[in-house]
Amino acid sequence: MSAPPGLLQGNSPGLTLARRSLALILLCLLLLPFADLRIVAVDPWGEVWRMAQGFVRPDFVALESPLRAIALTVSVALWGTLIGAVLGFPLALIFHRSRLVRAFCAFMRAIHELFWALLFLQVFGLSAVTALAALAIPYAGIFAKVYAEILELTPKAPTEALPAGTDRLSRFLYAELPLVWERLASYTRYRFECAMRASVLLGFVGLPTLGFYLESAFREGRFGEAGALLWLFYALVATLPWWGHRRLLLPLLIGALFFLGPWPDVDGHLLWRFVSHDLWPAPLLDGNLAGLGSWLSSLPDLLPAIGNTLLLALMGTVGSLVLALLLWPLASFHFGHPWQRFGGRLLLVVLRSTPELMLAFIFLLMLGPSMLPAWLALALHNGALIAFLVARHADGLTIGMADLPASGRYAYELLPRLYPNLLALLCYRAEVIMRETALLGMLGVATLGFYIDSSFQYLMFDQAFFLLLVTAGLNIAIDTISRRFRPRDVPLDDPCSR
Amino acid sequence: MPLLTFDSADLGYGTQVVLPALTLSLEAGERVALLGQSGAGKSTLLAEIRRRLGNTAAWCPQGHGLVPLLSVYHNIYMGQLERHAALSNLFNLLKPRRQAWQTIEALADELGLEGLLRRPVAQLSGGQRQRVAIARAFYQQREVFLGDEPLASVDPHQALRLLEHIQTRHASSVIALHQHRLALAHFDRVIGLRDGRIVLDAPARELTLAQLDALYPDARKSSRGTEVDATT
Repeated sequence: MSAPPGLLQGNSPGLTLARRSLALILLCLLLLPFADLRIVAVDPWGEVWRMAQGFVRPDFVALESPLRAIALTVSVALWGTLIGAVLGFPLALIFHRSRLVRAFCAFMRAIHELFWALLFLQVFGLSAVTALAALAIPYAGIFAKVYAEILELTPKAPTEALPAGTDRLSRFLYAELPLVWERLASYTRYRFECAMRASVLLGFVGLPTLGFYLESAFREGRFGEAGALLWLFYALVATLPWWGHRRLLLPLLIGALFFLGPWPDVDGHLLWRFVSHDLWPAPLLDGNLAGLGSWLSSLPDLLPAIGNTLLLALMGTVGSLVLALLLWPLASFHFGHPWQRFGGRLLLVVLRSTPELMLAFIFLLMLGPSMLPAWLALALHNGALIAFLVARHADGLTIGMADLPASGRYAYELLPRLYPNLLALLCYRAEVIMRETALLGMLGVATLGFYIDSSFQYLMFDQAFFLLLVTAGLNIAIDTISRRFRPRDVPLDDPCSR
Repeated sequence: MPLLTFDSADLGYGTQVVLPALTLSLEAGERVALLGQSGAGKSTLLAEIRRRLGNTAAWCPQGHGLVPLLSVYHNIYMGQLERHAALSNLFNLLKPRRQAWQTIEALADELGLEGLLRRPVAQLSGGQRQRVAIARAFYQQREVFLGDEPLASVDPHQALRLLEHIQTRHASSVIALHQHRLALAHFDRVIGLRDGRIVLDAPARELTLAQLDALYPDARKSSRGTEVDATT
């Protein structure tokens, strides 16, 4: 007689993944005491009550020019995505050939849209150029990487069937591009949805998109208005398949041109001064190395900020994992009644459509400034997003023993099949969570983003730029680590995996 | 006049040798049927013949190598991509060239693809795709036809018709196929491969169905070998 293996002993792939996940959760629990999770607000439940009232009884009449805000939000998202795709596509063609291009794209991706916006704001002011560049630049980096990955998977048979001596361009246009066109288009469509959220967020730095009105309504406690704006945004996202139809694309693009604005007067001299002078530490430009030391010591204490950033990212990732595990059955047809499923799906769609910063902002008003609102926002948004995709994956599976009780179906039939994919999605999201962690600093959480935001406010561009570089470096490092951690050989056929 | 000769050549992919020490000579004007089970080395042999003949051979690959999103016209046009400048090929994607359109229309009519030129290949049946792949090989306008199972997805009757078209247009051909009756009746020479070796090489008129069936030992074990004709 042999003894059964001990707890978590064994080398089946499932157990390996379980051990890794539990280690991650344990690490998070160990570090949790270092996080600032106080509830500072005096009357959080009263605040929740007032917000809920605003959401249930939205005040559409009080809105000033909501149509203009919607039009601008959509226009920026459309053109930002288009310009990003146009810039990213040629980069994708040389992506796997040049390390320099890969590094450049990683850098563009690593800085969040809002930070790009803060940077361009200094030169182009509150203008369409700032808004478009803030979306197009990081998206170019993302498109370059994802397009390159898609192009790499082009079926080879049609290329091999071509007569010898066919030139490179013809080969690409006839035997490669048409084979991946659908996947490129569907990824671009998904990116456009992300651009819609990002475009809303640009309101937080003052560009007059929906987010601008949302932020001021929330900040000033006009919850009826805030509720109305949120409803408008959800309606916009929910009706996307109709108004965002392929056939309407060209008229939409042309129409959007009329709503983009204002266009800035660019002073070439000022622009050059900003790029060549303002962004760099003065001692570095003067060649004064000793001065550079004192410049560095004048920086805010970065270690706690980096620590907070990493801790929040870890907490966000683990929170997303736990929430995704709990939430996905809500939207899957393997569990519950149809009406429960409808509710579950609605909840997940609402959570994943709301921009994280928006969620964090709402929690912040409820709970007061600490890491708690940021953590909740990151975990809820990303957890819901992963849960939604996992539920869709689950619906594609047929289970062998359908009459098992729900817990048996969950633990024995479905989760073992879904978990590698879930973990892979989580690792992709970890990079996104990291980017957003820095961003939440803009709401006062003492992450790197907090210092970037305040450096910009005090017009210390050299310091802001340096901190942006640190953030980018950190993001690239996290991306590399999560790629190692990610389960291999998992088909991530879903274009929404990022 | 020999078309090409292999003198104890090792054929394969990279370092993996599929056909060791192959000695074989193909004559111009010969119609050669290539038989053997899957994995016997037919595709490797055809790929090497294609490589050596270069642009004197038209090529019809296994699995067609078509692009589903493009129309029948564009898929056939791809047979002559190397003869036009890149920009002219690009423009042809947007507006088909008149002369090419007419040539391809005639080809399509000949192969039973009337009225389908504008349709995406994704919307065609298996047999129709097969014809598009053959039409593309015709459009290359070469002397030799090389086909890796170009008759695999059509019924025996259609297979015969298509084979006649192929052979009228090309004096020389090397075609891998599984239809044994066709191989005996419509080819000059039959080459049988098994496990990377030539185990049969004779004029078709000297061979019998039973000899060809012997190339498929696995099929014979389970059923009557001649049934392979109808099923593949």
